[in-house]
Amino acid sequence: MSQPRVYPRSIMGVHVASAVSLCLSIILSCPQAAAEDVNYEQNIQPLLAEKCIACHGAVRQEAGLRLDHGKWIREGGDSGNILERNTGSDADPAQASILLERVSTDDASMRMPPEGEGLPLTAEQISWLSAWISAGAPSPEDEPMPVRPDEHWAFQPPEQVELADFQIDGHGQNATVASNPVDILLLAKLQAAGIRPLQAAEPRTRLRRLYYDLIGLPPTVQQQSAFEADPSPAAWLETVDRLLADPRYGERWARHWMDVWRYSDWDGYKDQVRGSQPHIWRWRDWIIESLNAGKGYDRMLTEMLAGDEIAPQDPDVLRATGFLARNYHHSNRNIWLDATVEHTAKAFLGLTINCAKCHDHKYDPINQEEYYAFRAIFEPHQIRVDRVPGEADTKKAGIPRAYDADLDAATYVFLGGDEKNPQQDHAIAPASPSILNLPFSVQEVTLPDAAAFPALRDFVQREEIHAAEQKLAQARSNALTMQGKESQPAQLELEIAEQQICVAEAELVSLRTRWSADKLLHAKRAPSTPQASLDAAKAAAVAAEQNERIQQAVLAVLQKQNALTTAEAALASVPSADPQATAESTPSETQRKAVEQAGKDLEQALAKLTEARKPLSEDASYRPVGEAFPKRSSGRRLALARWITDARNPLTARVAVNYIWMHHFGEPLVANVFDFGLRSAEPVHRELLDWLAVELMRHDWNLKHIHRLLVTSQAYQRASSSQPAEQMATAKQVDPDNRLLWRMPVRRLDAEVIRDSILFVADSLDSRLGGPEIDFHEGEKNYRRSIYFQHAYEKQMPMLVIFDAAAPNECYRRSQSIVPQQALALSNSQLALDQSRILASRMVSDLQAVADSPLEESRRFIQTAFEILLNRKCSPEEQQLCLRFLEQQAAMLGSATLSPSQDQENQHTAAAEDPNLRARANLVHTLMNHNDFVSLR
Amino acid sequence: MYNPIPSSLQRRAFLSELGMGFGSIALAAMLQNDAQGQGNPSLEDAALNFAPKAKSVIWLFMIGGASHMETFDPKPALNRFAGKTIEETPLANVLQSPFLENERVVAFDPNNGFIRKEIFPLQVGFRPRGESGLEISDWLPHLGDCADDLCVVRSMWTEDSNHGAQLQFHTGRHRVDGFFPTIGAWANYGLGSLNNELPSFVVMGQPVADCCGGRECHRANYLGPKFDGIPLDLEGETPLAYAKPPTDVLPAEQAGEFELLRQLSSVAARQYPDDEQLRARIQAYELAYRMQTAVPEVVDLQDESATTRQLYGVDDKETSRFGRQMLTARRLVERGVRFVQVYHGSNGGAGQWDSHKGLKAGHSKLCRQIDRPVAGLLKDLKQRGLLDETLVVWATEFGRTPGSQHSDGRDHHPFGFSIWMAGGGVRGGIAHGATDELGFHAVENRHYVTDVHATVLHLLGLNPRTLSLPGRKRLDKEFGHVIHPIIA
Repeated sequence: MSQPRVYPRSIMGVHVASAVSLCLSIILSCPQAAAEDVNYEQNIQPLLAEKCIACHGAVRQEAGLRLDHGKWIREGGDSGNILERNTGSDADPAQASILLERVSTDDASMRMPPEGEGLPLTAEQISWLSAWISAGAPSPEDEPMPVRPDEHWAFQPPEQVELADFQIDGHGQNATVASNPVDILLLAKLQAAGIRPLQAAEPRTRLRRLYYDLIGLPPTVQQQSAFEADPSPAAWLETVDRLLADPRYGERWARHWMDVWRYSDWDGYKDQVRGSQPHIWRWRDWIIESLNAGKGYDRMLTEMLAGDEIAPQDPDVLRATGFLARNYHHSNRNIWLDATVEHTAKAFLGLTINCAKCHDHKYDPINQEEYYAFRAIFEPHQIRVDRVPGEADTKKAGIPRAYDADLDAATYVFLGGDEKNPQQDHAIAPASPSILNLPFSVQEVTLPDAAAFPALRDFVQREEIHAAEQKLAQARSNALTMQGKESQPAQLELEIAEQQICVAEAELVSLRTRWSADKLLHAKRAPSTPQASLDAAKAAAVAAEQNERIQQAVLAVLQKQNALTTAEAALASVPSADPQATAESTPSETQRKAVEQAGKDLEQALAKLTEARKPLSEDASYRPVGEAFPKRSSGRRLALARWITDARNPLTARVAVNYIWMHHFGEPLVANVFDFGLRSAEPVHRELLDWLAVELMRHDWNLKHIHRLLVTSQAYQRASSSQPAEQMATAKQVDPDNRLLWRMPVRRLDAEVIRDSILFVADSLDSRLGGPEIDFHEGEKNYRRSIYFQHAYEKQMPMLVIFDAAAPNECYRRSQSIVPQQALALSNSQLALDQSRILASRMVSDLQAVADSPLEESRRFIQTAFEILLNRKCSPEEQQLCLRFLEQQAAMLGSATLSPSQDQENQHTAAAEDPNLRARANLVHTLMNHNDFVSLR
Repeated sequence: MYNPIPSSLQRRAFLSELGMGFGSIALAAMLQNDAQGQGNPSLEDAALNFAPKAKSVIWLFMIGGASHMETFDPKPALNRFAGKTIEETPLANVLQSPFLENERVVAFDPNNGFIRKEIFPLQVGFRPRGESGLEISDWLPHLGDCADDLCVVRSMWTEDSNHGAQLQFHTGRHRVDGFFPTIGAWANYGLGSLNNELPSFVVMGQPVADCCGGRECHRANYLGPKFDGIPLDLEGETPLAYAKPPTDVLPAEQAGEFELLRQLSSVAARQYPDDEQLRARIQAYELAYRMQTAVPEVVDLQDESATTRQLYGVDDKETSRFGRQMLTARRLVERGVRFVQVYHGSNGGAGQWDSHKGLKAGHSKLCRQIDRPVAGLLKDLKQRGLLDETLVVWATEFGRTPGSQHSDGRDHHPFGFSIWMAGGGVRGGIAHGATDELGFHAVENRHYVTDVHATVLHLLGLNPRTLSLPGRKRLDKEFGHVIHPIIA
């Protein structure tokens, strides 16, 4: 292939009218591939995988053609051989290849991949194919056969390998290993690769890592010293157990799971709720509490998906369905349900079912109908806000929760995913994806009376009746006060006060009677209850309510009468008309109009009274004391929860342990945490992943059990680097990406953890648990943990956003960027400055008592600052640098004019006027900006 | 002092030091640009198939939907048919066009987003401008002076008939599809910075309201926050969040801290020579420290001459706000900022350009606010020799209906509207594409919004088709097609 071949420009995906310079650049940039440069495994296979195998591969075989194995490519499809035509033996096969023709033709209707299914091949890619075909389309003899979709690793049940089969050589530290399965499985791979892992990290480094990973806060100086004095495995284990029992564990890990479960506070413009729900913080608190209580992961998932079906009367459990309420979208039900489908499948199953919304899944064996079958599981559900004791107004407080509102809601396939094109001739039944081949059985759930008619809950009646009684008592006391007044009020006003008592009484009676009737109607009753007693209760309620209306109408008449009297008196007292004034604007004219209006109002009130007194028809109804909801729930979501948490489901536990692993070891075992489908290759550490998944299920899905297993491994306690660096040379050469975990990767702290740490080191952190979300604007003044602040679209603390806080809409994995804005935030935020000053002042006063000399005091200050902020001792070199800094900085500050801070009203901590103290605050502030403050080594 | 184009050696060292601050494409782009700067074209990298014509982009976005018929696409037929319904005109078939199918709504809005049938006459006159005779509205006289530099595209179309189209214009995806990287983020991702003391993607003006995409209109989404547009606030106390320390911190005090930090970091760097994160953080602190000076300096217009300030209308009440933003935009591109996005007309809701009623009063006022500043920007760039390497784009989310709403306004119109570009390698004094006689449908050389993106990236020397992230499939419509006929 020494002759450059000229291709029609359209092949290159370039507009024909392109300028000359453009063509030139393409020719320069797309040299012809020579056969010897083209390799099946490096060029051809990846190209076909990207462009073709969605339709010509394991999942689908359009035109009977598969392009995912050399043998099949050479075999061809329904139309025969695609690599050559029988045009004569001397022709270059590439010239006549159907494959080449189809990928390079100008005819858009013939070109592969088809329009909208992928971009056309580039000239260079076409030249690879051409060269490869000319060379006879060779592929390795031992090319593995692609697996059938149902043989994909992640769709097979996980199993625990026999650990005894793994022989770990007993050299060095490894001699004592072999007890923790994590180490056994990792060491087996390391030894096979000839890599010696690094030693355990320094005690302080390890302790910092453990504290941050389990509770999201650093150890104190005392905790560091204690562990340094006794860094035994027993002490480590004791610390692990203590931290797992610490309520801050729940706060730390809730934030991780909230990323995956898409926690978001409500968003919207002014008061309009556009996404998620007010009071959704109750779900956040449920997450924290559940984690702290060691609730099983299976139970947590079940409560989130179907809490209303398994515990319809338990408000604590109902909070969990915030997982569903979070998907609420004000303008479009399809957006709402699409989000529910997409993120339920991604979060719990690691399946991208959402890719099958518009067409069959390109890579996984999930067809479009299965997408809508999954949607049908959620079709009946809606969101409502349950009243909570102590607050009748659900705008002010409540529990947003899911319930099935319409058990007959139909689901249709949308043609091409377009909601304008529902295929209404065929309703889709709820079902789970068939690939996992597990039973999915839906059984309707009959709800308790108080779940369908929430006013039946005791506290609701108690509070409502109490409020009516209070109103009555108030009316009585008002009337008494009025009668006792020295200046006797007008008769009419006394009558109004009396009537207000009548109204309150009538309201109370009406409320009680209606409650009785609603109880009979909505609560379970003996089957023998005669229809007559139902009718009687209803009639009584109707009558009591009529009386309530009559009493209110009487009150209105009295009030209007009073208004008329007042207006008449005002008119009578108007002085005689000013001759200069025009007729329309004289005071008397205004007053006359007021009298006229008051007269009309009175007439209307009288008419209403007459109306209220009219006898009611037989079938008159009354106002129920609360809203009624369906008495049954479809049971679809519960069926889904059972299916997801079925011990035979191969995905659920694997997905969960993959997240836990990621947060302890920096990198997940399966790289794409939300896609375990066919695009996800079998992980290097599959045996480990599977072992942990089975372990999770065998231990009642207890997450703390997995944490304990991971953090007590030697792998977790390894150093991230060694001195001298040469010790790492072999490992770096063999495994530069640390896939075998021969070292612990260095990680950056999460956004929330950075803010919390700044507050914690200064002893400022407000450690109260739970409660309504806090305005994100308060982030630098309110010292609660970051998890309690608003986290919603357009409502996030800027400092957290700068440090890659989760995007509220979707964040299965955070990025760990390093950008200058982070440096600006740490060096210039009031938060960091305030806390530096607070911490420095406290340290200075603590140290004054113990230090003998100013130099000694400075040394101790530096040492302690390193321990508090960086959780390590400072090196002699660092101490020298800091000592010199304190000296120079104090000198500089001493010669400058230091004015006290002006900004008192914003509760900021003023900069010290004493140059020495201020220099110390500067040192603390510098260490807050140190790489080690935001990093875990 | 800033150093607009550091020597290639420095920059290479800077980027390789930074390690993770830029995508590999960005790095390639930087090296590529260096190579070109040395007159040694090398076209090896797939992302850079084209010699760049523009170095920077100034992207002006009119929020609410500016009427194409009262700005850049005169339709005398509207005056002829005024008061008639569309059905009564010879152009009744626009109501049967298959293009109507392109409309997608997020949620039905009973008030807005309808085809208005009673023809509303033009609210302003037009006249040919410049040597080219390009017709421009009488509400934009100063911009008329720049007619020979403008390339108007009169055949734009989009899908969303409500203001989610603001998001769609920046990501190429409908609001219902979710959030995606924006054009500015892709440019930033593809090219990286030419400046080591300012962010390379800067945003000015009150952003799009959250109804319509909010700050997602200048974010990078899955490309990561390091490619987000960084807002510079010219109105508030500080132009950039945390850009300077509180007032009770002395400059020397902070300088002392940064020096200590640098020393301590060097100790750490010696101890952990292979820690890339540490190295990146050291670089980030150096950039941050310089930004503290560079950002206030770039927004400080004191040293601009009276003539220049007048050119932009900086000291006139009506043009002051946008004028200062335009002048700052020039200062930013002078210093090598890649992408400057400026919003005009945000009002916490749909946007001020959204003239359902009182179009004449509304649009004439808004045009006055932008006319002199934008013309000033073009003239100033030109006289400084910067217009050739700076692409200015003026855009809006959709046009407005040929028919009237509330008797004196126009409704949303996604089926045909205008944008323009100037400088940066586009031809001047031309109108490309056309709407039909009513200004209803784009009928000639139709362009979806991402065709503008593709053209911008192409002029920056990037092949838009190569911009993607592994695992993030981009739809064909997200890439768009370069509008070759308008390229000089």
